[in-house]
Amino acid sequence: MKFTQFAKTTLAATILAATSLTFLTPAMAEVNVNQLIKEGEKAAYYAGEDGRSDARMMIVDSQGRKQLRQFTILRKDVEDNGDQKMMVFFSRPTDVKDTVFRVEKHADTNVDDDRWLYLPALDLVKRISAGDKRTSFVGSHFFYEDVSGRAVSQDDFSLVEENAERYVLKAVPKDPGSVEFAYYIVEIDKATSLPVLINFYKSDDTNYRRVESVQVDEVQGFPTVLRSKVSDLTNGGYTLMEFRGSEYNVGLPDDVFTERSLRNPPVQWIK
Amino acid sequence: MTVIMKSISSKLVAISTQKPLWVYAILLLLTLGVGSQIPRITIDTDPENMLDAEHPARVFHNQTKANFGMYDAIVVGVVDDKTSQGVYNQSSLTDIFDLTESILAIDGVVDADLMSISTVDNISQAGPGTIRFEWMMPNPPADQAAAQQIQTNIERLPLLYDTLVSKNGKAAAIYVPILDKNESYRIAEEIRAAINQFDGTEQWYITGLPVAEDQFGFEMFVQMGISAPLAGLTIFILLFIFFRNIPLIIAPMVVAMATVIVTMGLLIGFGFTVHIMSSMIAIFLMPIAVVDSVHILSEFSDRYKPGEDLKAVVKGVVGHLFTPMLFTSITSSVGFFSLMLTPIPPVQIFGAFVGFGILFAFLVTIVFIPAYLSRMSDKALNNLQDALHQDGNGDGSQIARIARGLGKIATGYKGTLLVAFGVIFAVSVWGVMQIQINDNPVRWFKSDHEIRVADRVLNENFAGTYNAYLVLTDRSEQVTPQSMLTTDAMPASLSDWREETLATVQEGASTEALQNLIFAIDDKLFDDLTNDEADYLDAVMAKVEAADSQGKTFQSPELLAYIEKLQQTLQDSGLVGKSNALPDVVKVVNRELRSGEQQDYTLPDSSNAVAQTLLQYQSSHRPNDLWHFVTPDYRAALIWLQLTSGDNQDMTAVVQLVSDYIDANPLPAGIEADWAGKAYLNVVWQENMVAGMLDSLMGAFVIVFVMMIVLFRSLVYGVLAMLPLTITITFIYGLIGIVGKDYDMPIAVLSALTLGLSVDFAIHFLERARATFNDTGSVQQTMAIMFEEPATAISRNALVIALGFTPLLFAPLVPYITVGVFLASIMAISALVTLLLLPVVMSLGRKIVFKSAN
Repeated sequence: MKFTQFAKTTLAATILAATSLTFLTPAMAEVNVNQLIKEGEKAAYYAGEDGRSDARMMIVDSQGRKQLRQFTILRKDVEDNGDQKMMVFFSRPTDVKDTVFRVEKHADTNVDDDRWLYLPALDLVKRISAGDKRTSFVGSHFFYEDVSGRAVSQDDFSLVEENAERYVLKAVPKDPGSVEFAYYIVEIDKATSLPVLINFYKSDDTNYRRVESVQVDEVQGFPTVLRSKVSDLTNGGYTLMEFRGSEYNVGLPDDVFTERSLRNPPVQWIK
Repeated sequence: MTVIMKSISSKLVAISTQKPLWVYAILLLLTLGVGSQIPRITIDTDPENMLDAEHPARVFHNQTKANFGMYDAIVVGVVDDKTSQGVYNQSSLTDIFDLTESILAIDGVVDADLMSISTVDNISQAGPGTIRFEWMMPNPPADQAAAQQIQTNIERLPLLYDTLVSKNGKAAAIYVPILDKNESYRIAEEIRAAINQFDGTEQWYITGLPVAEDQFGFEMFVQMGISAPLAGLTIFILLFIFFRNIPLIIAPMVVAMATVIVTMGLLIGFGFTVHIMSSMIAIFLMPIAVVDSVHILSEFSDRYKPGEDLKAVVKGVVGHLFTPMLFTSITSSVGFFSLMLTPIPPVQIFGAFVGFGILFAFLVTIVFIPAYLSRMSDKALNNLQDALHQDGNGDGSQIARIARGLGKIATGYKGTLLVAFGVIFAVSVWGVMQIQINDNPVRWFKSDHEIRVADRVLNENFAGTYNAYLVLTDRSEQVTPQSMLTTDAMPASLSDWREETLATVQEGASTEALQNLIFAIDDKLFDDLTNDEADYLDAVMAKVEAADSQGKTFQSPELLAYIEKLQQTLQDSGLVGKSNALPDVVKVVNRELRSGEQQDYTLPDSSNAVAQTLLQYQSSHRPNDLWHFVTPDYRAALIWLQLTSGDNQDMTAVVQLVSDYIDANPLPAGIEADWAGKAYLNVVWQENMVAGMLDSLMGAFVIVFVMMIVLFRSLVYGVLAMLPLTITITFIYGLIGIVGKDYDMPIAVLSALTLGLSVDFAIHFLERARATFNDTGSVQQTMAIMFEEPATAISRNALVIALGFTPLLFAPLVPYITVGVFLASIMAISALVTLLLLPVVMSLGRKIVFKSAN
């Protein structure tokens, strides 16, 4: 086992991205929410120059039936708190092995992310129109947006509560028509700056969805989410994601993040 | 035997006439005590309960519902035929959007599975080489062009086209899955309230099985609340016409009420639910319960003269009638008890409790009526005499005139009658063979009922609202983790790990064991391993992954092609409105992944390609829709058939078609096809009913026949007793066959029980005829006497029972009406046949018949 590994995983990035805030209400002067989020976002989402991580996903439906997915994520920042490149290489189940997602994320919310897909058995590269990002990520309870990150400027945040361990923030979408939730409540751990719990609510205050960090370890000096879970509180299913083999500043070359890698996976970075 | 019965009856009468108040008190306590259970009534309107909860077809149906994540659904339909665009206009689509939002806010609705234009995904081409997943209608259309775009999009998606919007574009549907079908009324009401806010020109319809069942339960209460009291009233009026004495006819009414209350109280007290059959118990028991009392009162009022010893007369009357009443009660109850041979629980419960009720009524009659008569005042008794003897012009004498008329026919046209009955019987037998077995619970509502109207409109427009599911399951043995983790090449250092792993990976579903093993090996590979260990595990991993992929049966393009062809065959047959299955999903995604053009609406050529296609399908807003067509282990697949008719004849034709197809195109080894879905369950219980009814009918026939031989101590009389009812039942069922009325649940149920009821007339006729012949010694004279008082009494009882059932004609549900018409006519006809046929046969066969009488 490689003890040096560690990752600011994509998930942590996601959660933080989802909580990224536009600071509109300077009510609690002693807490600079904007500052807090900026720091958190950078630490969780843009740590180092790049990173890799092996992810394993267990999707459990309301009847307890399981599906497994395994993939490797490579990430490279163009700019801190800015654009980012990402590749997702599937390894299991074997029938979807070598399926690849390629994403170029744009921090500017006016510019859609660029997404491509490679399906080896169909020998097909396809561009995916961003459309709605709150669709399932390969059948799991994670949304695509949970993986790629919800744009910073899409919600209005306010500080609800501060206790010894956590900041509790409420986020309200600026465009309620574009999302299925009315608002969400995110709790940020003070020690790690990581969001560790997000509860999504309907307009009637039903808490129907939860994203949580189950295990956070400090590796290489960075607090890292190693296990996280998304639960469907209405129907009872959930997806558990585990991260392993994570590394930072591995020196991923730019050409890893090109169309060429779709058909020719950069083996040295994947395994 | 007669001696024993005489002594039982005289003891009972002695007790009840000496301690009448005790009899009253006990009857009152019993009635109130058992009756106190009635408020605990639970109504059961689920047609599924026609099958036992453990019935394999039902178990499989429920398993299928669970395995493929299906719920009972309310169907909301909207039709707009005013505009040429149909529902594809801004206003209709906006209403659909708004209504969907309202429905999603209702408690008890399964939001994730709700199907509406605004909750489904569109998969389309967003430019060259670009695929786009998005909501079909994230917002109400801003203009007509946007509405038209929705039409274009839906018509490209076979799973939605003709299911969510009709092909003619005039109708749209919202499928509202609900968690608990007992909530359907509330949910339907909330939906109605939301619809009432709309002011468009569209017509809205709400249907679906849960709504129908709920409505049905309500109508059942109406029936019990109106028809049963009406039946009581009808009987009361008839009794008044016969006896003209209110105090006297209160007695049989008390017997009827006590019988109904105690029987229903027991049924509910034992925890049985009240199903459509049991809801008719009151109406069945009331006329049957008063029949014995009518006999006692008739004879009592004939025999009693003022000044006589009241108790002695009562004792004489009851002693005289005890045996025939016991036998008619037993034969009637045998008819009902025979229903317990039918493997349909509601029918069994109905038979058991009505059978019990009849025996209970008999017991109450011979205990309560003597007690009641013995406490009647002299004044009341005198009034009775006056009323009966003064009034010679009432209905009673009209019945007597009719009876005499029948006698003339019976004695005057013997040969003609015999030939006529022979011909009728022969034609009836042919008619019976023409019977069409068919039922459909929706047809239990009258044709102008809103549920029938909604059913008709939606099925005219859509591919069908009746669902059947054909489930293909791979039942072949799967590779086990043990066989994968072979020990011969395994480094000894791994043996502890192997034991632990084998224990843990097999927790949970067996089909997930290989998946779990992959995880376990993957975990182990992260440990510090020796080269030997790593080599071994890598090798095993490759084997397990291959086996796991291989086990995903329904990712195979060959099998999908098989399903595709089967679907095509179903479509070509015209029996099925539409079928939806995994190949449809795969082909749509494949088309959109490639060119978006029709030429790519095909199945990919490898299992991996299917898996990768489905991975994309799962990247939608509704990833779990996939699991309606295949289980997550890909070992079972479901073909959803939409039928425009819920008639089980149509469903049977589909089952036959599929069975023929599979015979001609065998499924791969290990794969089996099974049916589920309400439309199919209906077929199963109908088949059960037909077979079961035959058992019941034969059982009842044999038992009643044996009883008749015992009662008359004569084989000839036994045969004679069975003759009228055999002809009657054959005639009625022959008529049903010839007229083309479907043989449905109520008709099936009635065959066995009418046998027990209609034999009564023959018993009375034969018993009296034999006694009269013994007195007169002349066949001619016997027949003349028979058409005086005895024929009048038989006609009178036939009228009581027949008219007692007529309030069912006013019931809101079709099965009740069928039962009413059917029973009334079977009673009338069997009385008629008894009075016409028996004299003919007895006269013509006098040598055998009356020799045997001596």
